[in-house]
Amino acid sequence: MPFVAALAASHAPNMLLDPGAEWEEFMTLHYRMAPQAAGGKPSLEVQQKLRTDAENAFSVLRRDLEAARPDVLIVVANDQFVNFFFDNIPTFFVTLSDEVRGRFTRYDFHYRNQPELGRAILEAGVASGLDLSFGEDIELQHTQMVPLHFLLPEPDIPILPIFVNTWIDPLPTPARCYALGSLIREVADAASDRVAMLATGGLSHFPGSPRIGEIDTSFDEGLLRQMRAGEGPALAGLTLEQLRQSGNSEFLNWMVTVGAVGETPASDSFYMPDHVATGWGFVSWKIS
Amino acid sequence: MSRYHLNRFLFDLKMKPDTLSRARTDLDKALSDYDLSADEVAALKSKDPRQLRPLGAHGMLSLYLMRLDPEFDDNIYWTQK
Repeated sequence: MPFVAALAASHAPNMLLDPGAEWEEFMTLHYRMAPQAAGGKPSLEVQQKLRTDAENAFSVLRRDLEAARPDVLIVVANDQFVNFFFDNIPTFFVTLSDEVRGRFTRYDFHYRNQPELGRAILEAGVASGLDLSFGEDIELQHTQMVPLHFLLPEPDIPILPIFVNTWIDPLPTPARCYALGSLIREVADAASDRVAMLATGGLSHFPGSPRIGEIDTSFDEGLLRQMRAGEGPALAGLTLEQLRQSGNSEFLNWMVTVGAVGETPASDSFYMPDHVATGWGFVSWKIS
Repeated sequence: MSRYHLNRFLFDLKMKPDTLSRARTDLDKALSDYDLSADEVAALKSKDPRQLRPLGAHGMLSLYLMRLDPEFDDNIYWTQK
């Protein structure tokens, strides 16, 4: 049973900022980009409740992760113009360095990487017609560090960052991401290590677009409902247009994990729109 | 239109402290390192990120133009990537 746990969680930067002054700075910048959304600005009390609710959701995911006793945590996230630029945008990228680092405000992150598992995934991909990019010298960013702060605060096990292109057209389809997840599951099930997977991002948000500040809560809740029902294959039938229109292109990261769990229903899910920009979502799957 | 260079300047504002420092000191001189159209230069000098997207700037990079606004000099958002 080498694939032992699957999780998904948002990576919105304000989840890791302190309610009050830090949120104010974040929102001041945000509302300069999205003045139309300023009317919904959350009060300090709402900010504090959001932080508490997020911490509670993360605590459930962390409990499940620790109960699964993984040897390595695959982290599926997107790059936001830190490691990649228009010179070279990989659709999927596997990190092969020995260690990975990053910094988020006052927090430093330093994990061992698991390049052996990365190479196994690359080789299995080539053998099955899913050729992935790879490389070293990767810097962690908020897309990995925000959830890792809550889920793996001590670097007790190595991670394996895998990047999905979720913001620069042409994007991979949900079905293609699902296929990658299925491939990773096969590799994990053949491995001696106990492998867990975390997908990050979403849910609905429209950064840098004219719709910035909108949150499509009904679409988000539908996604969570389908994951709780174990409808992974049906989610693979989503179109990119559906994801774009609902501000859910980062759900492509989640689709990799959905592909790894298949028809396994999610055991827990949590959802809270942050009233600023993003629907925060959290899901755990227990793998038997 | 030189979309690549428009995005390149914004990416460098995000990732290269030297570019940010030079742009804050002398924006015209910093922009001269990039192959930009007159419209792009005008939009960048407006310091309004919403003017960049119609010119082809990626939405996630447009935000970084606000690093040139003194109001946001030390905003906490810039201390993470």
